[in-house]
Amino acid sequence: MQRTLSSLSLSPSVKIKLVAAGFQFTSDLLPLKPLQLSKEASLSQLEALEVLQTVRREEGGDEGGGGGGLASLTALELLQKEEELKSIVTFSSQLDAALGGGLPVGKTTEICGAPGVGKTQLCLQLAVDVQVPQCFGGIGGQVLYIDTEGSFLLQRVVDIAAAVVQHCSLLVEDDEQRVAMTTFTVETILANMFLVRCHDYVELLAELHLLPDFLSEHPKVRLLVIDSVAFPFRQHFDEMSRRTRLLNGLAQQLIAMATGHDMAVLMTNQMTTRLQGGQSQQVPALGESWGHAPTIRILLHWAGSRRLAAIFKSPDHMGSTVQYQITSEGFRDVDQSEQPPSKRPRTHTDQSAASRGDASL
Amino acid sequence: MVVLREGMCPGLDEDLVRDLRAAGIKTVEDVVSSDIEELAQRCAVSYKALFAIRRVLLAQHAAFPVSGADLYEELLSSTAILSTGNPSLDALLDSGLYTGEITELSGGPGSGKSQVCFGVSVHISHRLKQSVIFIDTTGGLAAGRLLQMLRAETSNAEEQMEALQRIHVYRAFDVFSLLDCLHGLRAGRLRQALGGGSVKAVIVDSVSAVISPLLGGKQNEGMSLMMQVAGVLKTLAKDFNVASLVTNHVTRSGGGELQPGLGASWAPVPRTRILLERAEGAADVGHSSVRSATLIKSSRRPCLIKEEFDLRWWSRSGGEEASSGKREREETDSP
Repeated sequence: MQRTLSSLSLSPSVKIKLVAAGFQFTSDLLPLKPLQLSKEASLSQLEALEVLQTVRREEGGDEGGGGGGLASLTALELLQKEEELKSIVTFSSQLDAALGGGLPVGKTTEICGAPGVGKTQLCLQLAVDVQVPQCFGGIGGQVLYIDTEGSFLLQRVVDIAAAVVQHCSLLVEDDEQRVAMTTFTVETILANMFLVRCHDYVELLAELHLLPDFLSEHPKVRLLVIDSVAFPFRQHFDEMSRRTRLLNGLAQQLIAMATGHDMAVLMTNQMTTRLQGGQSQQVPALGESWGHAPTIRILLHWAGSRRLAAIFKSPDHMGSTVQYQITSEGFRDVDQSEQPPSKRPRTHTDQSAASRGDASL
Repeated sequence: MVVLREGMCPGLDEDLVRDLRAAGIKTVEDVVSSDIEELAQRCAVSYKALFAIRRVLLAQHAAFPVSGADLYEELLSSTAILSTGNPSLDALLDSGLYTGEITELSGGPGSGKSQVCFGVSVHISHRLKQSVIFIDTTGGLAAGRLLQMLRAETSNAEEQMEALQRIHVYRAFDVFSLLDCLHGLRAGRLRQALGGGSVKAVIVDSVSAVISPLLGGKQNEGMSLMMQVAGVLKTLAKDFNVASLVTNHVTRSGGGELQPGLGASWAPVPRTRILLERAEGAADVGHSSVRSATLIKSSRRPCLIKEEFDLRWWSRSGGEEASSGKREREETDSP
């Protein structure tokens, strides 16, 4: 079976010209020189050269046995690579435990929740946490924060950063950590945060298009936060199918960047109401097909006066629910001593509360 | 449409190609379908030479008929049935994944498609000791999860490492990379890269993630690329005797029911289609791992039969095998 020209990644106008000239398969093009091709298919010299390079690369890759095309890893090599990649701690030990160490690097995570439940707080917390130096167990990376709602509050970041710096300075045990603390201050935390403000979906898509260049100039970026991805896509869209297509394309771009640059991608989403058979239910916005896009989904919701975080999509951990709180220092665990004494085990309380307060997803 | 080039067959040299082209004959089809006598006169070439060339070109480019008996013999000798590791799923698939065919798993987000793919690859790699090629388009593959499932199968670390080495992972995040990968596999890397092991399964998770951004709107390449992916997968499955498992997303039909994505054009591509959903009875519990699988297209079993199974089947510990087998097997017929 031969490979058709339309399966190559060339521009559509070039493909139309090639087909009109009678070329259908890559093997048709192999014996040609660029000058011949540009004459026969009425392409420019540059286009002809590009086409032949693409074709030669495909054939060369096939014959070279794994040299040209995509490289494959065995699952064992992948396991070793994963063990080297650390996760970003959230400073809530329960959430970290439920996620298997923290926010995973190399995957896309989505946080959805009703307004005011703490999505932006978690994003700001993680934007500071990713910069914790490696000798303290962090990653020591920079962060690119794309703000579409205008909810980025500098004062809040300063508060969270100050709390994290203080937490780390209390943990100092040896010289290496002492040296690291001299470069880990509120000022450096703010300096390592790149902020982009996007006002609509076109700006967001353009920014993501330019991202690979930015990332190659700043190889230390380990976290990309998009707060929120729902806001620009919920306005001014007459055609829902176009929105779904754009979102699917966006999702693939993000996961390609996350894996290619060893970066964690964090997105926030809003909630919408779905009416089904006379009952209404709060579900994450942007439609059902968007649900496939992020690798991990966390739902933040209220149960009475408590805030709960439920992980309801994860490839390596079973769904679970943990409780958290937002303090002046940021995103934290609920203090154990404050829990009222109860004979029932804690997870049972969480699950029944979750099902009472919010219908299943 | 195969363009005529010199050297394609003995007797077809550059001058002849030029003469034929001047007469308006550019492709093999033109040679085969035109009148040889008239062509010989127009191009001033001998009738015998043209006749010989036409015969060689026909032999090179025509398809050969195969008798049904030979086809049946080939089927019996080369088809293998790969168990998925889960008895309920095997019952639905008529004992497992068949080589030479494409099987599709569709389901909404969180319905367990990737988990089933992981479980199947672990089972094939460890129990059946065959290699698996896993093409990941969504970034959802975590080797830690595969190790978790392997730990439940065996506690011998060496066996676990061996099983992990038999699973080959490719990452393709757009349709052109996917096509490059599949064509590369078909062109020979399947044999070369594996050096010894035989591949029995190619799993693509998920095929809809790379194709759905291309369908619809003013884009005219989407359908063509989708059918090319289908074509390469089928050729790969048939020529190399591998079982192909793909995952797909779901959309809601006009009546509000779930149906597999990628539209009516993709529907004939897989031979067997299964729809995964969260089991109905378990809707009250927040995080249940029980799923129900409905057979929506099959050439072997009656359609719309359902089976329920637990996603934790692939990570259960060995001791519970007998009892959990009885628990998981629940059959509910469709109304």
